[in-house]
Amino acid sequence: MRAISLSTKSIFFQDARNYQILYLAAFLVFGIFKLHWDLSLIKVSAILFTTCLTQFAWIKINNGQLSSLKSGLITSLGLCLILNSTSIITLSLAGMLAISAKYIIRYKHKHLFNPANFGIVLSILIFNDAWISPGQWGSDALFLFVLTVLGGFILHKIGRLETSLIFLGVLFLLEFTRTVLYQGWEMDVLLHKFSSGTLLLFSFFMITDPMTIPNSKKARIIWASILAVATFILSTWMQLYTAPIWVLFFMPPLTLFFDKIYPYKKFEWNNN
Amino acid sequence: MMKKQLFLTAFCLGSFALQSLSFCGFYVAKADTKLFNKTSQVIMVRDGNKTTVTMANDFKGNVKDFAMVIPVPNVLQKKDIRIVENSLFNKLDAYSGPRLVEYYDENPCSPRIQYDMLESIQYNNAIPTSISMKDVKRNKVLGVTIEAQYQVDEYDILILSAKESDGLKTWLTENGYKIPTAAAEVLAPYIKNNLKFFVVKVDLDKLNEINGTTNLNKYIKTHDNENIQNLRPIQISYTSPKFMLPIRLGMANSTGAQDMVVYAFSKEGRVECTNYRTVKIPSNENIPLFVKNKFGQFYVDLFERAHDKENKEAIFLEYAWNISPQFRGAKCDPCVGPPPIFTDLTKAGVNWAMNNGNQASSNVFFTRLHLRYSRNTHPRDLEFQVTPNKEHFQARYILTNTAVGDLSCNAGQTYCATVIKNRVNELENLSQLTSWSTVEYSGYVKEYYDLLKDKNILNEVKSTQKNKQPWLGVPSNESRLGLKIALFLSVVFLLTFAYLIRQKNPLASK
Repeated sequence: MRAISLSTKSIFFQDARNYQILYLAAFLVFGIFKLHWDLSLIKVSAILFTTCLTQFAWIKINNGQLSSLKSGLITSLGLCLILNSTSIITLSLAGMLAISAKYIIRYKHKHLFNPANFGIVLSILIFNDAWISPGQWGSDALFLFVLTVLGGFILHKIGRLETSLIFLGVLFLLEFTRTVLYQGWEMDVLLHKFSSGTLLLFSFFMITDPMTIPNSKKARIIWASILAVATFILSTWMQLYTAPIWVLFFMPPLTLFFDKIYPYKKFEWNNN
Repeated sequence: MMKKQLFLTAFCLGSFALQSLSFCGFYVAKADTKLFNKTSQVIMVRDGNKTTVTMANDFKGNVKDFAMVIPVPNVLQKKDIRIVENSLFNKLDAYSGPRLVEYYDENPCSPRIQYDMLESIQYNNAIPTSISMKDVKRNKVLGVTIEAQYQVDEYDILILSAKESDGLKTWLTENGYKIPTAAAEVLAPYIKNNLKFFVVKVDLDKLNEINGTTNLNKYIKTHDNENIQNLRPIQISYTSPKFMLPIRLGMANSTGAQDMVVYAFSKEGRVECTNYRTVKIPSNENIPLFVKNKFGQFYVDLFERAHDKENKEAIFLEYAWNISPQFRGAKCDPCVGPPPIFTDLTKAGVNWAMNNGNQASSNVFFTRLHLRYSRNTHPRDLEFQVTPNKEHFQARYILTNTAVGDLSCNAGQTYCATVIKNRVNELENLSQLTSWSTVEYSGYVKEYYDLLKDKNILNEVKSTQKNKQPWLGVPSNESRLGLKIALFLSVVFLLTFAYLIRQKNPLASK
């Protein structure tokens, strides 16, 4: 399945998670220093520390491989990039809960929720002091281009590119039909909608976590289309601007269903 | 050369505006008299799905020419439309505006920034006040329905719905509104999005009656009762999940950028934009003492520079504070104007300012946003959300009054050296914030440099200026702390539990 021959690559580049970590960390630096996010280094450190510590504890308990710490790091970076709160406790707990849910809520050795997504949705629902700022990325064209290309490259490596493309494609088609063809807005109105960093980050990073989406390619295509349609409905008629994140939270039953009717071997990270 | 060009642009805008019709958000006239040209002011109050929007209006000219069209999500009832006094906007503006703070003598001083506001369209002829059968038939042909018609104080209000944009455009033209081509193009998306059109004009007789000038003309022929300034702001309330401000109609005619100041109130915390970036305006910076006399210009240039730096698309946070009558912390530091009192809040539409038990509420959060928008940078209407972010913020700039008198003693010499470094720092800040050329202000540094007997002292001292951030009174109580502790303990308990199970039965784990 891999397009790039692994033999020629150094050990570092064999695990796509290393790319993901670099990718997410780069955007965090961009967000803090270029976009002047209200995210202090103390908050970032707190999220990284508690999330990775929780992951470490669960690894020890399960006699797991230490390389899974990378997944913990990816989750914590994802939280930093999407979740906002004025409370350090909320942010740290979001990380703890995200990782713990990964180990507790499982079915057939596969965790059901995307950890970062679970942490985000849960903390917004129960803590009363967390939120998502969908507008925080702006629509800087160059930045979005880099986000897309790098995201695409990583997904290509783990073989989940089609999930993002189908999600974005279906959503674009629906939005194009409604915004441009039906309502008669100009094309730049539509493009502005799709130049949201939050949407692209979600598409290239969150819904493509191979552990929490269907294993079979066919299932993933249908799964991503359903996600896109639900996102479109929620954002258009219920004015829910963070719709994809909420929809993804309710997708696990569908993932299980698709894994049942389209069985395929579970994804394994290359841990070498 | 540059100056000349700027002047020409301003002039063209002014004259263009006066001739043509403009919609909500469009500014007419007088580009040179106020600090921020073409600025609209809007108060938005959001409580659940209920939104109350108040639009200020300082249309100047013949009131017969005044009319306004605003897209609204549903047909408003008469009780949903109110007229408020202009003083409300002045109060909110004065209270939340960017401020100067002076240190040493603690005398806060800041000239109030004046904003212009106009959300109006010029209107050709008088609209017929009664609707004949013929009109009804014609409306049907055009697909335009008059959903409601009200007289609220001096305003005649129509709420229109339309089937298609050409019909609405024709209706507006036939009824005396001149529609700019660009505006007609964006009518269609609003119609398709099921928005209604709130059309306002002024009833001159009623206005005279309210102003008590009905009979004045009998005796004073020269009294120009048609040239009334400062029409009162209109306030509308509606229930809809949409929390947005339509800016596209307003920019239809405009070739340049327009400013808008939004005063938003919520129960939970700050209001932010969801489809554009919301960023803080640079604040808490030390600036030279001489800026005191030109603070207005300073802030205008600071805003322009910040706007450029953020790709001209960001929306700036200028103020965020819990202003509940019950809130015990400082309401501002320094206060530029008196904090809004209970009646101001109620007038603005904050209907939870007083609860059922007649107690003042403790959750009125005030956000002031300032944006500069144009067709190229802001293709979409503004969408907002209320966040639980209760952190306080204000646009605040610091002046330092230095000591004067004999500074020849050793301590005085060290002090002079410190002041020199501080003042260089202030000038550099000024240059960075506003792009002003600060070389011409060398006298500001020289004043203390000349007092130094031994210039080598300069190598021994450092600038003492740190940005003096006041304690902002951010509520420190954690929300739902009990739940957080419980969840934390649960996770720890689960980890321990899982560990114990594994000790007993190693196969139970993965």
